[in-house]
Amino acid sequence: MHCPPVVAPSPDLTAAVRVRLFAALRERAGWGERLVPLEASPTSAADLWRRLALDDGPATGGRIPPSIRIAINQAFAAPGTPLRPGDEVAFLPPITGG
Amino acid sequence: MPTPNPELTIAVQLLEAPFEPLELLAAWQRSLSADSRDSLGAARMAAESHFIGRVRPTTASGAPLEVLELEHYPGMSEAQLRALAEACAARHGAGAVLVAHRVGRIAPGEAIVLVAVQADRRGPALRCVQELLEDLKHHAPFWKREWSGGSGTWVAGNTPL
Repeated sequence: MHCPPVVAPSPDLTAAVRVRLFAALRERAGWGERLVPLEASPTSAADLWRRLALDDGPATGGRIPPSIRIAINQAFAAPGTPLRPGDEVAFLPPITGG
Repeated sequence: MPTPNPELTIAVQLLEAPFEPLELLAAWQRSLSADSRDSLGAARMAAESHFIGRVRPTTASGAPLEVLELEHYPGMSEAQLRALAEACAARHGAGAVLVAHRVGRIAPGEAIVLVAVQADRRGPALRCVQELLEDLKHHAPFWKREWSGGSGTWVAGNTPL
């Protein structure tokens, strides 16, 4: 008797984005990287900020503070840029290089 | 918009171990002189400017610093340093740029950044070094954490110029 292959239910990773956090933001959230399904279309970094509750407190009302910069696929981008499946979106706290 | 110099040479290095800036500088100069001398053997660019930044021994609040931790965004940090160096060199007409930056744990007194620029004249060389240093402090994804008394504090912003 032929048994059909068992396919485990798994999220469709092609419709997900990779979210990355750095430095103080990573420590505050307690994670540095995760795959997040794109639930609505279009979804932006600003939407993910709200959905992932990345705020420090209620003061900013779910909006990304001006001190946080966004990178999509390792290039700076505006918070409202629509994300595409497979994108890597990073939230960057204030930069202190050099 | 300035036209990029087709012979522009950009070198970017992220270093996980301590480095000696003068040795790195000498190696960079040798690598350039090997392919940038004219038929008479003279260096084509007459001006060269450098900046070496070291870790200061105290934290932002004045406490003794044990170590400075430098986090970065691998991939984007290198690409961003290169893009900033290319743009700065194009604005000033510089011919060669070196940016070396430490990552990881850095002891007080150790070099953290080296910027060097070759140009035809002192003005572009000096201005490009200063501008590129400011650019990378604000626009390349690096984050400093100061360790003192066994606890770490993320640095909130850059020191004044």
